[in-house]
Amino acid sequence: MSAVVKTTTPFINKEILLQALKNIGCNFTLQGNEILTERKDYYGLQKFSLNNGRYVFLHDSSADEGARYMTQIGGYPWGNIKNQEYKSVSEFLKSVENEYQSLYQKKLEEIELKRLEEEKIRLEKERIEFVEKQKTTIIERAKEQGYSIKEENVKGKIKLVLVRNTY
Amino acid sequence: MAEQKILVTIDENGKINASTEGIKGEMCLDELQKLLGDLADLDSITKTDEFYQANELKSTNKIQNKKQ
Repeated sequence: MSAVVKTTTPFINKEILLQALKNIGCNFTLQGNEILTERKDYYGLQKFSLNNGRYVFLHDSSADEGARYMTQIGGYPWGNIKNQEYKSVSEFLKSVENEYQSLYQKKLEEIELKRLEEEKIRLEKERIEFVEKQKTTIIERAKEQGYSIKEENVKGKIKLVLVRNTY
Repeated sequence: MAEQKILVTIDENGKINASTEGIKGEMCLDELQKLLGDLADLDSITKTDEFYQANELKSTNKIQNKKQ
């Protein structure tokens, strides 16, 4: 006999998880290390709780079954995400997971863009400093050699005119 | 009284182009060496006819450096 076990994506990043909940239309409140959703079951509000570095969804495991039964007979007792279509815990988690993964990917892309931008700025700064140092060195040396110096900036280039009179 | 002139252009990448006017013979290269010597790798030197006219009043040489 064999078995296949599949888990959802661990919700590690609180900021992304909160945004994912917002995006799927699930209201929540924060209470310490817990994120209380507006989904209710027999034990109260279903919530995400920080456990070993990830947010675990805590809920009454029989809630879905009860909700399905109650739906069949004309209503269910567990409260709902406003008037949206009821989502079972697994459906809800799947929605959160999909949104979380999408946001996580976007976040990575943003970080990469930011990193590239910072690297570009650093390289530009390095280049400008290098050119400035070259100019300063040439001017200092020219002064030592008795040249008068005229500096111009022409189309992004530094032009130095060094003049000395000899007798 | 003679005027010695050196024109130095540094582009946005730090590449240097320099030329002399009114400096005789080998002296013009010496002058450029003093100014630019260790600042960049030398790419090319173009000696004009005037360079070889050491006794002439005016000589012109060009030196181009690459960014390091």
